[in-house]
Amino acid sequence: MTLDFAVRATEILLGLAFLQQSIEYLLSNRRLHLLFLARVGMCLLLISGFQTGWVLVGLAVLSLGMLYRFDGPYNGGSDRMSLLVLACLLLVHFLPESHWQELAFGYLAVQLVLSYFISGWVKIVNPAWRNGRALQDVFLYSAYPVSESLRAFAARPTLLFGASWMVMLFELIFPFSLLTQPSLIAGLLIAALFHFLNACFFGLNRFFWIWLAAYPSIIWLQGRLFGGSALLG
Amino acid sequence: MIKDIVYSLRLLLPAVIPSWRFFDIIAPSPRIEYRLLAIAKPQEAGQAENEPDWREFRPRPDNVSVGRMMRRMVWNPNWNQSLFLVSCAERLAAYGSSHAETEIQTNIGVALNEEGANPEGYPFFQFRLIFISRVEDRITKEVEFLSPVYSCSEAYSI
Repeated sequence: MTLDFAVRATEILLGLAFLQQSIEYLLSNRRLHLLFLARVGMCLLLISGFQTGWVLVGLAVLSLGMLYRFDGPYNGGSDRMSLLVLACLLLVHFLPESHWQELAFGYLAVQLVLSYFISGWVKIVNPAWRNGRALQDVFLYSAYPVSESLRAFAARPTLLFGASWMVMLFELIFPFSLLTQPSLIAGLLIAALFHFLNACFFGLNRFFWIWLAAYPSIIWLQGRLFGGSALLG
Repeated sequence: MIKDIVYSLRLLLPAVIPSWRFFDIIAPSPRIEYRLLAIAKPQEAGQAENEPDWREFRPRPDNVSVGRMMRRMVWNPNWNQSLFLVSCAERLAAYGSSHAETEIQTNIGVALNEEGANPEGYPFFQFRLIFISRVEDRITKEVEFLSPVYSCSEAYSI
């Protein structure tokens, strides 16, 4: 995958993710209509590929406005990833040399890998995750399960013990999937399934779409590192 | 103006250099509860006959069908708003954020007016934050914040 193709794919996926978020907000809230209408317009321009650099600048300004208005991200981690993807795309467009552009886009890929690896690391060093109690607590009393019936999973400790270890091991070994393209594709499919299940069980639909938007960067970086000349060469 | 821009850029920093510590610990989990009041003084309201009980704001449904889960992949505004209010509840309990308090107040006010949950004769409401956590093998609930009394119509018009 070439850098241009990966960047364009990221722009389209980011535009679609922002569009989904914006329409969701616009049609269910009576405030900030102007801000989100402007965002919808910019998303359509981004997807169509019109003046993408300046459209990204506009989206960044709106994102700063949203951060200010909501006193932080509206939806925690998914908004943080949104801003990271946006910031990296901005750098790719405005940095003068291809060498720096590659580093900016590579930074997004590295952060994507870290998003899994660090999540796995902070879990495995916690005894409550290792014995399955942490996931039990997520189902038992956290604010995330989308229905009361899902809380019944808290009464199935063996299942949650196994699920905890599957999640931790997957997150920790994800960086090794970079070694070959087929292993990376397999890793990304499993990761997408993980986000899909999180969306179903915990209502984290925004995570699914925005993490997907960062996948072209890692596919590009894998090819760049293991399929051609060195990034820093 | 410059102060606001600097403040927004400071909020941007955790996104550009993220920590990615998802679910490292299962922290006490907030619930927002509210009660409708006939009069603006909670002490007197507490003694009034037929005092309305505290009720959870936007409680989760008993069941969500697979079809609804699929629809929620692209259309999930109420849940995402609830997750935002969970963040607000955490900020309010952690450092008394007035912004978070206003957000919760406004959202309850809007819901009471637009979802028809505000019966006649109860023009005021109050909310509180309950934090649920595990202490050894017990699940405990603690009230961490009790709001002043608000007028429903004023909260709606913010």
